[in-house]
Amino acid sequence: MNDHRSVSIVMIEDDEGHARLIEKNIRRAGILNDIMHFTDGTTALDYLFNHKDGPALNGPALVLLDLNLPDMSGTDILAKIKAEGALKRTPVVVLTTTDDKVEIQRCYDLGCNVYITKPVNYESFAQAIRQLGLFLSVIQVPDIESD
Amino acid sequence: MFETVLRRFGGTRHAIGRFLIVCMVVGFLALLAAGVAAVLTVVRTERHTEMVNHTYVVKLAIDRARTLVEQGETARRGYLLTGDKAYRDNYVIAARVTPREIDRINDLTADNPNQVRNIGNLRMLVSDLIEQRERTIADTDAGRRDAAIATFTAEKNARRMFRIREILSRMSAEESRLLTIRNGEQRAGINAFYVTLSVAALLLLVVATFSLATVLQYTRDLNASQERLRDFADSLEEQVAERTAELTRANEEVQRFAYIVSHDLRSPLVNVMGFTAELESATATIRDLIDRVDAAAPGVATEDDRLAAREDLPEAIGFIRTSTQKMDRLINAILKLSREGRRTIMPDRLDIAAMGRTIRASVQHLLDERGAEMIVEDPVPAIVNDRLAVEQILSNVIENAIKYLSPDRPGRIVLRGHVEGSRAIFDIEDNGRGIAPSDHTRIFDLFRRSGQQDQPGEGIGLAHVRALAYRLGGTIDVESELGTGSTFRITLPLTYVDPQSGQPANKENEKP
Repeated sequence: MNDHRSVSIVMIEDDEGHARLIEKNIRRAGILNDIMHFTDGTTALDYLFNHKDGPALNGPALVLLDLNLPDMSGTDILAKIKAEGALKRTPVVVLTTTDDKVEIQRCYDLGCNVYITKPVNYESFAQAIRQLGLFLSVIQVPDIESD
Repeated sequence: MFETVLRRFGGTRHAIGRFLIVCMVVGFLALLAAGVAAVLTVVRTERHTEMVNHTYVVKLAIDRARTLVEQGETARRGYLLTGDKAYRDNYVIAARVTPREIDRINDLTADNPNQVRNIGNLRMLVSDLIEQRERTIADTDAGRRDAAIATFTAEKNARRMFRIREILSRMSAEESRLLTIRNGEQRAGINAFYVTLSVAALLLLVVATFSLATVLQYTRDLNASQERLRDFADSLEEQVAERTAELTRANEEVQRFAYIVSHDLRSPLVNVMGFTAELESATATIRDLIDRVDAAAPGVATEDDRLAAREDLPEAIGFIRTSTQKMDRLINAILKLSREGRRTIMPDRLDIAAMGRTIRASVQHLLDERGAEMIVEDPVPAIVNDRLAVEQILSNVIENAIKYLSPDRPGRIVLRGHVEGSRAIFDIEDNGRGIAPSDHTRIFDLFRRSGQQDQPGEGIGLAHVRALAYRLGGTIDVESELGTGSTFRITLPLTYVDPQSGQPANKENEKP
C-alpha cells in the first residue's frame, strides 16, 4: 500500500472468529498495516466518519465489510460510505458468506470495489484471504480530500 | 299436512318418488273406475231405453188390437142394422187383421207370464167373438136378419166385449207398470253413474293436489339444496385458491428460511474449520517440540505429554474435521434445495422418451458395470415443463434404481408413461432390492435413507426430487415390495401452470 502514508484497514465483521482468521491470514500475506475491527455497524460508522483517528478526519483507509451484521445491513454501510462525502473514494471490499446474485449486483451498483464470497472450506478460505492480502499490498488508495 | 305425509315417507328422494307413484296409480285407478262406470251405465241405459221402447211398442199394439176389435164390432153392427155392403167389407178387413195383431202382441210379450196368460184368454175370447160374428154375418147375408140380431143380443148378454176390453186394459196397465219400473231402474243407473263419477273426480282431485304439492315441495327443496351446493362450490373454489396461496406463501417462507439458516450455519462452520486448521498446525508445532525435547533431554516429557501431542490431539482434530465436512455437505444440500425452489421455471416442450434415452446413454457405463438393462418405452407422453428440473427428477430416480439393484438377478429398469386427464404419469420400475413399506414416506425426507447403507450418499436425492416435483405442480410416490423391486410414480401436469398467475405456460411465449 501507499508507503508514504499508513493506510489503516477497517474491518467490519460481527463474527469474532472470522475476524481473527481474516486478520491472521492477512498478516501471513505480509500486510502489516493497522487493522481496526468493529463487530457492529453503528460503532463502525461512528469511527469512519467522526473519530479523530478515523479515516474521514485522518488519512486514507480500506474497508473490509461483512454484509450480515446484527444492527444494520452491510449494504447500508456501503451506501453511506459511497455517498457524497470524504469517504466516497475509499476502497470497499465486501467479504461475506452470501453468494446471492442479486446481492452481489446490488453491492456493485452501490459502488463496492471488490466482492468476495467466503469459502466454507478453510484451506480455500485461508488461500483467498492471503491472496486478498497480496492484492491489498499492491492497490493504490486515494488520499482523503481534507478541504 | 303435506309435510307430515312427506315426513312419514321419510322425506328422502326415494320416498317422494314412491309417494308420487302411489298417487299416480290411485289417480289412474280412479280414472279407470270412472271409465268403466260410464261404459256400464251407457250399456245399461241403452238396454233400459230398449226396454222402454219395447213397452211402448207393446202398448201401441194393445191399443191397435183394441181399436181393431172395436172397429170390427162397429162394422158388424152397422151391417147388421143396415145391410149395407160397405160395412161388411170393413168388417172383413178388421176380422182378418185382429188375430194377426194379437199374435204380434204374443210375440212381443212372450217373456212376461202375466201377459202370456192374458193373451191366452184374449185369444180365446176373440176367436169366440169372431166365430159368433161370422155366424151373425152369415145370417145377415142369408137374409135372416132377425136370427142375426138375436145371436147378437145373446152375445151381448155374454158380455164378451166387456171382458175383452177388460183384458186389454189389464195388459195395458201391466205394460205401464213395467214402464214405471224400468224408468225407475234407468234413473237409479244414471244416479249410480253420477255418484261413481263424483267419487272418481274427488279422488282424482285429492291425488292431483297431493302430487302437485309434493312435486312443488320437492322442487323447492331441490332448488334450495342446489343453491346451497352452488354456494358451497363457490366458497370451495375460494377456499382452494386461499389454501393454494397459503401453501405457496408457506413454501416461499420455507425456502427463505432454508436459505437464511444455511447461510447462518455456514458462518460458525467457517470458524470451526478455520480454528481446527489452526489447531492442527499448532499440534504439529507441539509434536516437533516433544520430539526435540525427547532428543535433547529425555525424561522431561512424560508419556502423557507424548500421547497428547502424538495421538489425542490428532485424533480429536480428525473427528472434528470429518464431522464439520459432513455438516458442510449437509448445509450445501439444504442450500441447493432452497436454490432449486428459487430458480425460475422455464417451460418447454419435452419429449420424455428422448430424455429417457439421453439419460440411459449417460448412465450406460453404470448399467454395463452391473450387467443391467434399461428400457425406455415409446411412446411416452410429451409434456410442457422445465427441462432441467424434469431431467433432474428422472435421472435421480433412474440413478437410484441402478444404485439399488439386487445382486441376485440381472437388473432391469423400465421407463413408461401414460396420460390421465390433464396429467401425465411416468413410472420408473426396477427389479431391485425394494423398499420396506415403513420407509415409503421416509425416503423422500431430507437426509433419510432406507435399507442397507452400502452405497455412498447423504439422503438428499429423493428429497430434492420431491421438492422439484412439487415445484413443477406434480407429485412423486413409490410402490415397492422388499426384495422384489420398486416403482416410482411421477405425476406431472401435461402443461405447467404458473401458481402465481394461474395461467398455463405458453411455450411459444416462453421460448425466444
